[in-house]
Amino acid sequence: MSLIYDTYDLAIVGAGLSALSVIETGLGGLRVLLLDYQAEPGGFLRPALPLPGFEVAWELLQSVELSGALTASYRATVVGLLPAFDESEPHTLVVRERQGTNQAQARRVLIACGSLEATREHAQIPGSRPAGVMTPILAHQLLARGYLPGHKAVVYGDALYVRATADRLRSVGLEVTLLSPVAVVPVRVEGFPRLERVVFRDVYAQEHAIDAHVFIYGAGMMANTHWLKGSGVETNADGSIVVDRQYRTNIPGIFAVGTVVRPSLDHADSLAMGKQVAAILQGGAR
Amino acid sequence: MGMQSETRQVEQVDILVIGGGIVGSAILRELARYEASVVLLERNPDICDGTSKSNSAIVHTGFDAPPGTLEARLLAEARELWPQVIERLHIPYLQTGALVVATSEEELATLEHDILPKAARNGVTLPRLSREEILENAPYISPGILGGALIEGEGVIDPFWTTRAYCESAILNGAQVYTGEAVTAMTIEDQRMLVQTSGGRRFSASLVVNAAGLWSDEVARLVGDDSFTLKPRKGQFIIVEEDHGVSQIVLPVPNRISKGILVTPIVFGGVLLGPTAEEVESKADFATTAEGLETIREGIGRLVPSMTEAASAGSVRQFAGLRAVSSTGEYIIRYSTVCPRLLHVAGIRSTGISASPALGRYVGDIVKDALGLSRREYFIEELPEYLSEARAGEGDVVCLCRSITRGELLAALRSPLPPTTLDGLKRRTGAMLGECQGNLCIPRLMELFQQQLGRDPLALNKNAEGSSLVVARLAGEEGGCDEPHL
Repeated sequence: MSLIYDTYDLAIVGAGLSALSVIETGLGGLRVLLLDYQAEPGGFLRPALPLPGFEVAWELLQSVELSGALTASYRATVVGLLPAFDESEPHTLVVRERQGTNQAQARRVLIACGSLEATREHAQIPGSRPAGVMTPILAHQLLARGYLPGHKAVVYGDALYVRATADRLRSVGLEVTLLSPVAVVPVRVEGFPRLERVVFRDVYAQEHAIDAHVFIYGAGMMANTHWLKGSGVETNADGSIVVDRQYRTNIPGIFAVGTVVRPSLDHADSLAMGKQVAAILQGGAR
Repeated sequence: MGMQSETRQVEQVDILVIGGGIVGSAILRELARYEASVVLLERNPDICDGTSKSNSAIVHTGFDAPPGTLEARLLAEARELWPQVIERLHIPYLQTGALVVATSEEELATLEHDILPKAARNGVTLPRLSREEILENAPYISPGILGGALIEGEGVIDPFWTTRAYCESAILNGAQVYTGEAVTAMTIEDQRMLVQTSGGRRFSASLVVNAAGLWSDEVARLVGDDSFTLKPRKGQFIIVEEDHGVSQIVLPVPNRISKGILVTPIVFGGVLLGPTAEEVESKADFATTAEGLETIREGIGRLVPSMTEAASAGSVRQFAGLRAVSSTGEYIIRYSTVCPRLLHVAGIRSTGISASPALGRYVGDIVKDALGLSRREYFIEELPEYLSEARAGEGDVVCLCRSITRGELLAALRSPLPPTTLDGLKRRTGAMLGECQGNLCIPRLMELFQQQLGRDPLALNKNAEGSSLVVARLAGEEGGCDEPHL
């Protein structure tokens, strides 16, 4: 492991909407290192954009300046965080990228690595395990690469993002059934090797089998914090990071923002949180 | 297709092994030691895709095997062989030890009067532990237990890794492995076995080893041998990411049907809860059920109460496997009743992994004697660590949840027995096994398959034939590939 990065004023883990909102708002000349797993900025929402209802996010992505005092590194995945022993020392991030595993140091760290979509497995929906069961991000990525995941889909969820996903699938010719968690719960997946149907139960305990080749499960988010295991950063039972009103974690100099703090499929307040955090960081908070 | 198979040359081989599970693969490796041409046929797209894949992954000591049986003997021999196999094939193994705990007076009596004496006859010493001794060392165990015993020699392994290592070692020593080739017909002609496959291959072999696991009764029936039948018994499992302090295998006192519902550490981290034991009709029924998952949660609650919550909220995956229950109740290792050139290795119950080193050797000896084979001058014992042969400039992470790099994935795709399916890549690398279950990285994995093996995403299956993740190209779209080319 080698040290190839200088010590920065601020390292931002993740180049999703909340991080971009921080950068757009301005960091007053701080030397910033931006690190992201993906090949380009925009976060886990990127493969879905542009998407109706997410125009502001799309505009931000088009307009944000990722240059100047900012060093952006993509396909650079932070796999570990070693907090400083005391406030005079910088924090260390372990980063995996093409050339190998490196360390980056920064006086302050902003964790903005987002959330992952909860899966059918996470919800423990029983049944067979066929091809065709996925979360929205996989469907968007396959479409972006020019492939159809199937011809008939059942989409489960009621977030704006999930409804927009259903519309997107319709627009490329899929027959889509959109079902809301308020009305039904999925109780069984059937078919192998390809999905044949999903059985839902309604509020009257009646079961309904929906024939489909694709089951898009969009009913929740899980904070992307597994890489923080052992770092000492405090998380809630659901994995999201515990922060105070200043977005400070329990470790001095380490902040968190966006859906890693408040998981939301709609990124409901990622942009607003980003603006607040920018002001706090400009103020030199630690 | 029909015409092709008619004109295709018959491949002459000495020994044909049917079945690429842990048993067939262990046998293949031992057969590769001899001056003989050896071929393995596996019906599924990848090796280790049946009973060998979905189980507790425990290397048992055989403490509760029926004493005096071939199974007990081979399990005892395997205990001696494992350390060398693990070292030479670089198999990840954790000697966790196991705690048998009794939760009722009845179980305590079974432990005292049945299990402990049986273990002694099998050559395994089980120190008896009081309730207090157990709770002191393993405070996560339910305070409701009455006592138990420690089985020091038990450990956990990765079944896929082990099967792959056996196969790759055999390949390194000249054996051949064909996947996606089911045996469709088998006849005996002029003392040779003629075997046809679903892919249109034809073989003529001196001897056929039937190691087809749950399907070995069907293979026997191809030559009119109905001397045994195998019934599937389903076992459902729940995988939990956090180990909640559990560092040992914890199991209830075994009963006649099964070892019950266990808590088993996974060799790569996390914990496996299960299995259930359900008699099912279909040999293709791998579905989990709400009842089955509930049975596991209840069973776990009696052993490790803190795990009950994790079993409902902290699980990344649930799955079901099928094990074979034979009509004889014992290992069936003998020649077919109707065909002297067909050797059955069937009914291996749930001890296939544990017994595999000894099973391979035992069957290897039978075949050697039958065909009068001599040992090869050179046999490469040590298996290169193919999967860690990442190259420079491939260090970027593809599977975010498990931090699996592009280099690790490419090393698997370049290995001697490369994956042909997404699940194959998953089992070789651990990619797609984390929180997001591959939803984030699958498109990049598809690109790596295309780049390294020339596999069109439309023809890339998740596992079985017909399980591709994409079914058509989007009209008018080129479709970008953002993976850097080599």
